[in-house]
Amino acid sequence: MLILLTTAVTFFLLAAAGGDAFSSLRDNPQVSERTIEQLRKSYGLDRPVSTRYLSWLGGALTADLGESFYFKTPVSSLVASRFAATALMSLAALAFAVAIALVLSFLQVRYRSSLLAKLIEGVVLISASMPRIVLGLAGLLIAVTLAVTSTFWIAAVALAVPLIAAFLAQFHDSLVVAMSEDYVRTARAKGLTETAVILRHAFRGAINPSLTLLGVSLGGLLGGSVIVEAIFGIQGIGSLMVLAVRNRDIPLIMGIMVITSLAVWAGNAIAEALQLLNDRRLRTAETE
Amino acid sequence: MSIDRSIDLHRRNWPLIIGTAMLGVFILTAIFADLIAPYDAGEQSRREPAAPAATIAFADGHPIVKGVRMTDPISRTYEIDETRPAEIRFFTRGYHYRLLGVLPLDVHLFGTENADDAVRINLLGTDDLGRDRFSRLLAAIRFSLIVCPLGALLASVLGVLIGTASGYAGHLADTAIMGVTDAVISLPSLIIILAARVAFPLELPPLTAAAMLITIFTLTGWAEMARLARGLVRKTRGTDYIAAAKVSGVRPAGILFRHILPNIARPLITQATLILPAFLLAEAALSYLGVGLQEPAASLGNMLSSAGDIDQLKQHPLLLLSPAIAIALFVLAVRLLNMGIKEKDASN
Repeated sequence: MLILLTTAVTFFLLAAAGGDAFSSLRDNPQVSERTIEQLRKSYGLDRPVSTRYLSWLGGALTADLGESFYFKTPVSSLVASRFAATALMSLAALAFAVAIALVLSFLQVRYRSSLLAKLIEGVVLISASMPRIVLGLAGLLIAVTLAVTSTFWIAAVALAVPLIAAFLAQFHDSLVVAMSEDYVRTARAKGLTETAVILRHAFRGAINPSLTLLGVSLGGLLGGSVIVEAIFGIQGIGSLMVLAVRNRDIPLIMGIMVITSLAVWAGNAIAEALQLLNDRRLRTAETE
Repeated sequence: MSIDRSIDLHRRNWPLIIGTAMLGVFILTAIFADLIAPYDAGEQSRREPAAPAATIAFADGHPIVKGVRMTDPISRTYEIDETRPAEIRFFTRGYHYRLLGVLPLDVHLFGTENADDAVRINLLGTDDLGRDRFSRLLAAIRFSLIVCPLGALLASVLGVLIGTASGYAGHLADTAIMGVTDAVISLPSLIIILAARVAFPLELPPLTAAAMLITIFTLTGWAEMARLARGLVRKTRGTDYIAAAKVSGVRPAGILFRHILPNIARPLITQATLILPAFLLAEAALSYLGVGLQEPAASLGNMLSSAGDIDQLKQHPLLLLSPAIAIALFVLAVRLLNMGIKEKDASN
């Protein structure tokens, strides 16, 4: 549904705005109007928009997203090959952000109202205000001064930092809620240390509300990867999108919209599935 | 009670104060960009490409700037030329401009002697074409601070309109509108903005580029606002005072504009302040990628493109990243302001 909506809106808007891969040829006096018409015909651009969308949709259902005007190769294989790099980087960034946020949220709750907690709050406020374009360029500077050859991890960290603040806020809030639950009180009464109470009991209860955020943040990662990929020269979906825009390659843009929607949808679905796995109460409620 | 709180110095709302102050500096910078800038953003000094930041010193109690001499035109390294100090003058005459687009002036806050071979004062050095980076940064900030608030305002109005319509509409229309809204929210905004960018010609003059950016921001940035407005309208519609207004015969439009919207304005304005930095970043990203505001016009994004030049980045990291620092400070300012507003609301 989401995918259908996105592609239809993109398709019709781009058609309504006019101009395609060949309109820039008009500026070239060597190319006659007839040649352009023939080119457009051979790509089926002379047909009405609705017919074009339906035939594109028919193809899309069988994983045929048409041919890229610019690369002259099938869009589906192009997008799939570039998607791997972006997905890998996004997952690395996600893992990094989650790990840091978990550690920081533990420290914040364990040593609440201490100087450390205040310090973490300040660092997070500043890091949350650091846009990826700034982080990416700072990362590039670090890579250059340290003569690092593999920039993958630096790129992933630049992608991850803005996420840490959002995760930390969520983890911290759910942890605080969990700390006042009965089962935490029971665990404390058993004589467990505060650290053990948080790590073994409170975290488990706090994870669930945070899972939704993980799924939702995937979209932000994909958007952020555009700029990070441009800075570090990574051949992913983001840099492909920029190429497609520069060359008015509409089939390619449509393909990228499809895979982005798919990824966002998958992210939400996985988060929901994990939530069900983690919380038995939800599972029994569903089966009843 | 309220008097007690206002004189309680320990509970000052620092985020609000600092955020407002920072934002105020940005706004003043944007308004007086031409007055503060010593040179025109497009003016090239071919003798000094990629020059380092000017050295300021004091001689006999007067501020002076030291001249520079290029020692190697290939790697573009410079050394300080001690034989050519120039006095820094304040409120000098320079290029002509119009303050706020109306008042014709040629006064500049500071500068050096107005001669062809005069020592130039490049506070942040120059770029590849010998243009003064400080002056360009000011022009870029002004561009961003015109385009982004306008885009945020229009996107907010559109969002409130759509959200209110959805809040008043029947079940089917409401579901359809919110379906589109959720789709726009869930997709990465930069990807949507890039897709919308294709609808416009690739190369655009500055004014058209500004209009295009505002259009794109408006068309893609309304969704969060619409969802928030819809929820608030739905909630407010059911309250007693709206029912009372209805019974006393206020027309539906009157209820909406005089009773509902004023009551839900606060959270909507808070949301609008969050849209602003998002647009600033989107503008920087588009210009960085070469599809926003293009050279020779200056924008935060296209100034950063040159930071991709690794040799120069190594030589003058702070100078090349100065637009990035401006971006980070602006985002921090808006964030602090937002935090401060929330804190204020919570304490009331």
